[in-house]
Amino acid sequence: MSESVSVPEREGSVEVRHAFFGRLRRRSVAILFVLPAALTLLAITIFPLIYELRLVFMSWELTTNAPPKFVGLQNLITVLFKDERFWASMRVTATLIVFGVAIQLALGTGLALLLNRLGRWRTSLVSLFLIPVMIAPVVAGFQFRMIYHDQFGPLNYLIEQVTFGHWRGFAWIADPKVALFSILMTDVWQWTPFLMLIVLAGLQSIPQELYEAAEVDGASSWQTFWRITAPLLLPVIVIGILIRAMDSFKLFDIIYLVTGGGPGNVTETISFYTYLQGFKFFSLGYTAAMAFIQLIVITVIAQIFLRFQKRGRGEI
Amino acid sequence: MRRMSSFQKLITVVVLVAALVFFMFPVVWMFLTSFKTEAEYFSYPPVFIPEDFSFRNYFNAMAFPPDGRGGIQGLRDSLIIASATTVVSVLIGSLAAYSLSRFKTGGENFSFWILSTRMFPPVAAALPLFLIFKEIKLLDSHLALIIANTVFSLPFVIWLLKGFFDELPTELEEAALIDGCSHWGAFARVALPLVTPGLVATALFSFIFAWNEFMFALLLTRRNVRTLTIIVPSLVGGHEILWGEIAAIGMVAIIPGILLALLLQRYLVRGLTMGAVKG
Repeated sequence: MSESVSVPEREGSVEVRHAFFGRLRRRSVAILFVLPAALTLLAITIFPLIYELRLVFMSWELTTNAPPKFVGLQNLITVLFKDERFWASMRVTATLIVFGVAIQLALGTGLALLLNRLGRWRTSLVSLFLIPVMIAPVVAGFQFRMIYHDQFGPLNYLIEQVTFGHWRGFAWIADPKVALFSILMTDVWQWTPFLMLIVLAGLQSIPQELYEAAEVDGASSWQTFWRITAPLLLPVIVIGILIRAMDSFKLFDIIYLVTGGGPGNVTETISFYTYLQGFKFFSLGYTAAMAFIQLIVITVIAQIFLRFQKRGRGEI
Repeated sequence: MRRMSSFQKLITVVVLVAALVFFMFPVVWMFLTSFKTEAEYFSYPPVFIPEDFSFRNYFNAMAFPPDGRGGIQGLRDSLIIASATTVVSVLIGSLAAYSLSRFKTGGENFSFWILSTRMFPPVAAALPLFLIFKEIKLLDSHLALIIANTVFSLPFVIWLLKGFFDELPTELEEAALIDGCSHWGAFARVALPLVTPGLVATALFSFIFAWNEFMFALLLTRRNVRTLTIIVPSLVGGHEILWGEIAAIGMVAIIPGILLALLLQRYLVRGLTMGAVKG
């Protein structure tokens, strides 16, 4: 009697212990697997960040040989309230984000709608369109430097031909009135296919039955677009816009190659200005302060992006 | 889809062809320039088709000053850095991705923290990395760029692979565990082989991002290490631009990108959105 009771008890405790150690092993395996990546990321993001945060409150000019000095909030105050060039570069960046993403979205959506109607040619065409996205921005910048060249470039030649020699085009890079536009078009060239790709993926994920039902109900194609296509595309489009906004905020390579921030500083983005402060003027504390401000802006956009991704999972 | 009228078809074709010309032209122009002589690329009206397609610009570019091996060095350094970054981030990234997918390690917030490190502005990371690398005498080495690129590659790899593991049914691994397989065995011998296509796609994306990277290469190197993305702008500017030679280097620099755009068709959407949109 006593045995028959104790045996299942013992078995039970063995099971419990087994499950306990099983779970422990699972947990330790789980953590062990993550550890190398987590440590790497910690070491090369958090550590430099702390280092940089310390710099924010220092004045450290490499050019003067003076030792680093604690200055409190001085750097941040100067950047935010006294540095007009900082705000100018913020305006340039904002212009590029707003107009760049808007044009890319409009063109990309248009192309995606056309491609979506295509049959077997679609995949090969999409791949060809995607080439600009996959090539190095510096090389793209070089291509446009040739195209924009005011004497030998094909763009001004084309303009001259189209206007029958009445107009010989612009000095696309040297003219302060159009330089920013030239940068914008380079960015549009490189990234429109990206938004096209995303919108196309969104279009293809819309169930065909919805369109069939709309047709049965006698909806016009205009109604179908605004009542079915547009609302279902919205989440995908928002993700695309946010990714592009974050990337445009960091725009550097094209500026470096095409205009170098000039003429004057009409095409100087915030990334480019930070680079100048840090690696041309060597004001380390000041650079750190600007870097942190950018970090905050990016974090805000990234949070919105992550929020969207958390919510949108499974829906797309 | 509704059937198109022939008019609509015509419009579609015309617009798509125009768009194709627009998006291909800069690449084609660089391709043509890479075969032109100086007299051809400095001429007005511009010469479109070079007289002969000789590879002289390519040979010149490979043996550029300062030390007579400009292009070769760029090719070598770009290959070393992009390959090493890819290997490192796929090795440790696949482990982490598996753990995040199967054990939900650290919960959703931990996964999102990893993803957010990807969005870091490189210019903000460049200054502290520069000072730290200077301190430990790592500036101007391959290792410095491999480390810097891994920061941006690793979150991408983890996040993308996590998506592939998420889609894999767990039954096979459970069966392997019951048969006495260790967790490591279930990962390495069961799960990993099953996500091979995803793994390859992820590795190729990681490679191309490191290959195309410019800012770290610009800031963390001097003479010893010069990637292809560094050589292109270093030859632009000044009064004399060697367009033919730069175009040749540019062509070499974009070949992997073009190949991948054609090869990775199925994974482009996922790779370029870090899995935020499933293609």
